[in-house]
Amino acid sequence: MLGKYSKHSNIFTLFIIMISVFVIISIFLPNKFLTVRNFQSMFSQIPEFGLLAIAMMLAMLTGGIDLSVVATANLSGIVAALVLTKYNIFQTGGYEEIYTILLAITAALIVSLICGFLNGVLVAYVGVPAILATLGTMGLFTGISIIVTKGYGIVGFPGKFLYIGSGTVFLIPIPMIIFIICVLAIVIIINRTTFGFSVFMLGSNPIAARFSGIRNENILIKAYMVSGLFAGIASIIMISRVNSIRPGYGEVYLLQAILVCVLGGVDPSGGEGNLYGLIMGIFTLQILQSGFNILSFSPFFKKVIWGLILILVMVINFYREKESPKLLKKV
Amino acid sequence: MPENSEKFLEVKNVSKSYVGVQALDKVSLSIHKGEIDCLVGENGSGKSTLIKIIAGVVQPDEGEIIINGKSFKKLHAIDSIREGIQVIYQDLSLFPNMTIAENISLNQMVERKRKIISWHEINDIAEKEISRINKELNLEEKVENISIANKQLVAICRALTQDAKLIIMDEPTTAIAKKEIDFLFSVITDLKKRGISTLFVSHKLSEVLKISEKVTVIRDGKLVGVYNTKDLNHDKLSFYMSGRKITNSAFNYQKEKLEPKKPLLEVKDLSKKGNFQDISFKVYSGEIIGITGILGSGRTELALALFGLNKPDSGNIYIDGKLANIKYPKDAIDLGLSYLPEDRLNQGLFIKKSIGNNIVVTVLKSLLSRFNLINNNNKYKSAKEWTEELNVLAPSLDTSAQSLSGGNQQRIVIAKWLATNPKIFILDGPTVGIDVASKSNIHHIIRNLANRGMGVIIISDEIQEILNNCNRLIVIKEGRMVKEMDTNEVSEDKLLEILSRKIV
Amino acid sequence: MKKDIKNFKIQRLLKQHELYLFVVIVMYSLFITYLNPNFMSLENLFDLGKSSAVMGIMAIGVFVVLLSGGIDISFTAVAISGQYIAANFLIASGIDNIMLAFLISCSVGVVLGAINGFLISKFNIPTLIATLGTSSVFHGALLTIVGTKAINSAQLPDCFKAFGSFDVFTLTKPNGVYYGLSIFVIVFIIIAILTWLILKYTMLGRGIYAIGGDINSAIRSAFNIPKIQFFIYCYVGFLAGIAGVIHISLIRYGNPTYIVGDELSVIAAVVLGGTRITGGTGTIIGTIMGVAMITILNNSLILVGLSSYWHDLFVGLIIIISVSITSYQNKMSVGNIIFRR
Repeated sequence: MLGKYSKHSNIFTLFIIMISVFVIISIFLPNKFLTVRNFQSMFSQIPEFGLLAIAMMLAMLTGGIDLSVVATANLSGIVAALVLTKYNIFQTGGYEEIYTILLAITAALIVSLICGFLNGVLVAYVGVPAILATLGTMGLFTGISIIVTKGYGIVGFPGKFLYIGSGTVFLIPIPMIIFIICVLAIVIIINRTTFGFSVFMLGSNPIAARFSGIRNENILIKAYMVSGLFAGIASIIMISRVNSIRPGYGEVYLLQAILVCVLGGVDPSGGEGNLYGLIMGIFTLQILQSGFNILSFSPFFKKVIWGLILILVMVINFYREKESPKLLKKV
Repeated sequence: MPENSEKFLEVKNVSKSYVGVQALDKVSLSIHKGEIDCLVGENGSGKSTLIKIIAGVVQPDEGEIIINGKSFKKLHAIDSIREGIQVIYQDLSLFPNMTIAENISLNQMVERKRKIISWHEINDIAEKEISRINKELNLEEKVENISIANKQLVAICRALTQDAKLIIMDEPTTAIAKKEIDFLFSVITDLKKRGISTLFVSHKLSEVLKISEKVTVIRDGKLVGVYNTKDLNHDKLSFYMSGRKITNSAFNYQKEKLEPKKPLLEVKDLSKKGNFQDISFKVYSGEIIGITGILGSGRTELALALFGLNKPDSGNIYIDGKLANIKYPKDAIDLGLSYLPEDRLNQGLFIKKSIGNNIVVTVLKSLLSRFNLINNNNKYKSAKEWTEELNVLAPSLDTSAQSLSGGNQQRIVIAKWLATNPKIFILDGPTVGIDVASKSNIHHIIRNLANRGMGVIIISDEIQEILNNCNRLIVIKEGRMVKEMDTNEVSEDKLLEILSRKIV
Repeated sequence: MKKDIKNFKIQRLLKQHELYLFVVIVMYSLFITYLNPNFMSLENLFDLGKSSAVMGIMAIGVFVVLLSGGIDISFTAVAISGQYIAANFLIASGIDNIMLAFLISCSVGVVLGAINGFLISKFNIPTLIATLGTSSVFHGALLTIVGTKAINSAQLPDCFKAFGSFDVFTLTKPNGVYYGLSIFVIVFIIIAILTWLILKYTMLGRGIYAIGGDINSAIRSAFNIPKIQFFIYCYVGFLAGIAGVIHISLIRYGNPTYIVGDELSVIAAVVLGGTRITGGTGTIIGTIMGVAMITILNNSLILVGLSSYWHDLFVGLIIIISVSITSYQNKMSVGNIIFRR
């Protein structure tokens, strides 16, 4: 982006924050934090909410928000789980199993694309504010998940499928590899395609975008579909890592995804934000998360902290904006 | 000038600068009780800043403001209101979701620090004010459903409820029709009888000459002078405003040299219900066509229709003799049409984005290289080429558009369209809010484009702009073409008369 | 002038949103009555009223927030905090007084609401993000500090039970069984009227409409925006505090994980009632009807043999459909493409 240089200071600040968090936790918890096992576990956790954060970022860049990311991931995960358990009659583990797994993944991704498409249509064509559209679809997707599973969890997937969530290649967890591939893909999509460029421009000023020949409806639908797709990919990693899925799993990810976005410098009003910031936000959050786990903080206490950090980031952003030089107002 | 009556407001040597821009430089202004004054200046001359200072919304860097003999070094909004100064901004600041009655009365309630609302009182106040200006309005109607002219009257009534002694109206006539302007003027004359002064801010000279007793002219943030209206005429005033003799050198259309046979653009019987009707005209290569008419006449709606943003009900558009099917702006761009919109800040620019991104947004496809990915070098080259071509003054291509002056911003919008290499360029209000120097530079750019064979359409309500830059002009009134003629056949006065004449 | 008249008609039609909703509710009720004649009995209606009070009170709070152009999703966390702290205080102190319970719960509500109001008015944080954050903090803090221990019926102070079974008047069925109109309904009605009075007859209330209508005009009209915003979120907290106490009195059981998660239904009820998230438009009557519709729907799901699993799906669909209708109308009435996103 031509505009990225002005954002350098922001990214630098984030980098300092990330390193400081890392150093502080390393100093206080050296034996438990700085271990290969801990890093492996961190690397297998990052992809789940990292992908959801990227999904959230896409919606935010267009000037909207996607409150249905976790519900989308859940529904896709449940569809995949149903395929896996229903077709998994061959306990032998031959080609049939691979076939089942591929079918499950495909089904999950298609479902996630449909979810995103629905959000996109509501926002782009019907003109529903993104908050309410995705709040509604969040209820809808969760509702479908509950009806399909009758509220129970689905457990026990084929061994080969679990490899996706828990296997490693040269000590690197497979989820991390998937994540890296996804990040590279989204970097290219956002920074080097006409679609990505249009997303930024539309998010910055939808009216000017329309006047410049951008088809806003198309871009919005695509953006929400890509957002859905990333939620779908996250769901595959999610269910294969914990070998189960139940409706409502991972609700905390919604807050974390939004938190990572605002921490990473994505402007909730649209048009501003970059992936380098987002990724540093993701790592910072995971380092903290890992520290809290080592300190065995309760999930409730973590909830408090995530909420506080979210608010703190917004307050800091408020002061940063205030301090940036006042520009010539419309005279 | 009513010398006998006392001064209500006196602004003395007020200066104000924003980051790097001297918006006002030692400007003075005075208004007597019951006087109708005008503040004139071209767009960007500092009028708005001066109003804001009088309203107490903006604090001047230096100078003094005296209201009713009381001197204020720092005038706050609340002081200004208490002293009886009411500003009616162009956006009117009404609440669309509330009724007319409440819009009129609410500010008074707020000012009197009321805690409890009496709806009887609200209706009584509103009814009284409305009847005092001899108007009938349904008080229970929500403001979002009434016409702009009526909204304006609501805003005036609201100002009157707050014991206004001076009402400042910022460009009140831009969005309303002739008949409504006449009614507005009769209201202002009535106010004078009640001892209320009016400061009328405008750049429309004929109206200024008609309504005012005294005119204060500012240019480039400096006071040009204060004149009695009876000593002024159109030419003098326009000279004071622009600082130069307007030489009526019309744009010289080089028909002989270009010898176009078929029109670049032909519009045939284009109609859209409630917008415009039976519009037909042709634009040839190298021509600059002016389309003029007041706001709401359908001029912008017509341009939007050509650009795929306002689907016409019937009629055809031909480009290069071929029937054009324009559904979206993209289609128009692909056919060689460009449209510089009326509202630069909202429609033309991505104000927070860099200059570079603002320019290349229309030509994304041409930036692609291997694997259909955007090549940042192409992007940089393309943007640089156009900023140099149009002399955009900016530290770098990464500078965001919001830090530029109006003139430079507009040059960027022009650049973004020139990058698409258009055959036909429609410019809607190309110099609104732009300082004099930049204005003539932009006119120069437009003329050059035409000389290179582009077909240009300028939409403007500035008569001078149309007469000086176009070879042909079309007058639109209430959605219909009322006149089409060569600019050298018509004088300014004649055109004014056509514009204000009623349709039979 | 012609245009004005035309618009006036359109507006009158749009105003009938409440009328349409009313017709839908009546028709749906008739349909349910056809399936299960008991539905329309006075007893069942009283029951519905009683069970809808919690949602209704919270919905009125959400209505006020949406009116100002904001959104609050922390009110459920506030309600459960107020409830749980009040109930535990009464148990610990041994004072068995429902008024004290309300006092404590509402105070907690106002304090937590004030935190929202402070963050939103002082730091300009988008309301969704601010309340998402505080929701997490409030609920997380409650669970961290007081734990997850439920309050069972035996522990619950008698005043809650007495309040829960207090009827303002009772009637007798032919078979000798008593039934009556719960005090909850009266509380709900009082709150609805109080809110209506505030919105219609106080400067504060008009300020809420003003902010929602056009915030820049509100600033120019010298409304004290931070003060109004602060009030709005305190008021939502206050109502959540009341809802919390009524909730525990209704089900005679307290669990710190209850209520949280019901935001969706409440917001659905409000938007179903015709309130726009963009602010400035909506009525109390519409909100009450929205609550009635959602309550009847929930109630009837079981009556027609669909399990409660369908609840979320329906709530989601209601939000999507009702918002789609209002948004689409809005998009069409704006007409000119220039102003569309």
